[in-house]
Amino acid sequence: MPPNSRPGDAVFASVDRVNAELFTLTYGAIVRQLLTDFEEVDEVNKQLDTMGYNIGIRLIDDFLAKANITRCSDFRETAETIVKVGFKMFLGVTGTVANWNTDNTECSLILDDNPLVDFVELPETCQGLYYCNILCGVIRGALEMVSMRTEVKFVKDVLRGDDVFEIRLKLLEQVPEEYPYKDDE
Amino acid sequence: MAREVAESCIDSINLELVHTYATRLHPTKPELAARRIEAIGFQVGLQLAERYTKERPRFGDHLEAIKFICKDFWAEVFKKQIDNLKTNHRGVFVLQDNRFRWLTRFSLDAPTSGNGTSSSEANQANSARASQAAGQYLYFPCGLIRGALTNFGVPCAVSAEVSALPACSFIVRIKG
Amino acid sequence: MLQAPGGAVGSSTRMRCMYMFNRQGVCLHYHVWLRPVSVLSRQEDQKLMFGLLFSLKLFTAKMDPVGGSKGQLGAAQLQGQGCSFHSFQTNTYKLSFMETPTGLKIVLVTDSKMSDLREALKYIYSNIYVEYVVKNPLYTPDTPFKCELFNQNLDNYVKTLS
Repeated sequence: MPPNSRPGDAVFASVDRVNAELFTLTYGAIVRQLLTDFEEVDEVNKQLDTMGYNIGIRLIDDFLAKANITRCSDFRETAETIVKVGFKMFLGVTGTVANWNTDNTECSLILDDNPLVDFVELPETCQGLYYCNILCGVIRGALEMVSMRTEVKFVKDVLRGDDVFEIRLKLLEQVPEEYPYKDDE
Repeated sequence: MAREVAESCIDSINLELVHTYATRLHPTKPELAARRIEAIGFQVGLQLAERYTKERPRFGDHLEAIKFICKDFWAEVFKKQIDNLKTNHRGVFVLQDNRFRWLTRFSLDAPTSGNGTSSSEANQANSARASQAAGQYLYFPCGLIRGALTNFGVPCAVSAEVSALPACSFIVRIKG
Repeated sequence: MLQAPGGAVGSSTRMRCMYMFNRQGVCLHYHVWLRPVSVLSRQEDQKLMFGLLFSLKLFTAKMDPVGGSKGQLGAAQLQGQGCSFHSFQTNTYKLSFMETPTGLKIVLVTDSKMSDLREALKYIYSNIYVEYVVKNPLYTPDTPFKCELFNQNLDNYVKTLS
């Protein structure tokens, strides 16, 4: 694939799409309800991450099927695929990958903008909330299904006054495929 | 042009919303889970109605508001209109959708019976179970309708019934 | 053209059976169209099939003259590492295989004259499994399934294969 093409555009054009309003408002209403249900903002972050994980383990198949991806050669390509194809296919936005560590196991996924935060302003009382934390869970769940154990967390958030959304993605382990049965079973 | 997302996003968030409240947070309190999910739908309905009617005059009566839900509102949210609207003229409206978008992928395991043929009894039991499970996914749209109508100044209660998947009916009871 | 005895033209007379396995070797789905002879128990049969796929994949990767793996035969592979086979044929049947990056293995067993099924396997994954199993709200990911909508759509689809 030539480096300058926009592989996500064609996929986004081909999937069923809906007006983002319903999605944005639904997500907002869920966050608001969780903030009422749990007093601790940290617990809300955790709940959003768990919801995302459960979504990610299903969404990966939708992604692989629609984007017609058969494999990524390494973790660098995986990260690029997430921001260029994954974000585009589902959310209609494209991000960039930056800040690789020296052994290529850790990087940042950068988004300027995403539809979850349209019409959102965080009240003072929500300090510590990572409003879009569901995205971390989705990425973690999806990667786990392709045998990559990762740690995913927000480090910058536009709603907190940062200039971009920055998600730190760390590869912990690539789980090899092993024969699941013992010979004497 | 309005911003768009993949429809999978909506499907995923709806599924996980029900899973979170009905299975994870309140597994033993189905009524509480239902209230929470409905409340989330209500919020969304209020806000959507506000956006969809910015440019138009207030509704003349309840019927006009209900018709707006059946046509414009449904088309915006579900890409189709309500198939059938009935009323008893005493404040009860039944909105029937013959192919409700959020129920189209519901499928239970095919009934298994020893000899490989499925009896009609097993089929019936199966569709009853499917309808019951599908019911959890209708609290949110019930809330959506109630929220939208509340925004239009029509206080009401909304419940839903599943007959044969993916068809369902929403019953609106106007208060006062 | 030879038709299996009793099979009507246009029905899936070439189809024998289908298996779907997850990464852990659990058979998520077994579908049978025509299988007059099966001597093993269902469980043994599925375990053997999984073993066959797993070993064959290792062997094919090991014998790859171009991109052959350096490790010991049988050494654990990372998902997507090494080449893989997509079908083999005996004088009585043909087995077609595909694996997704999530480790889902789909196997179609047909009569030996079946054409290339790579596109068909992809279709079954993308348009039938993902749409009617993965997106079914009542399905718990990574567990065996017998969804009616999946079965109906699969049966209809394989009728078009020849």
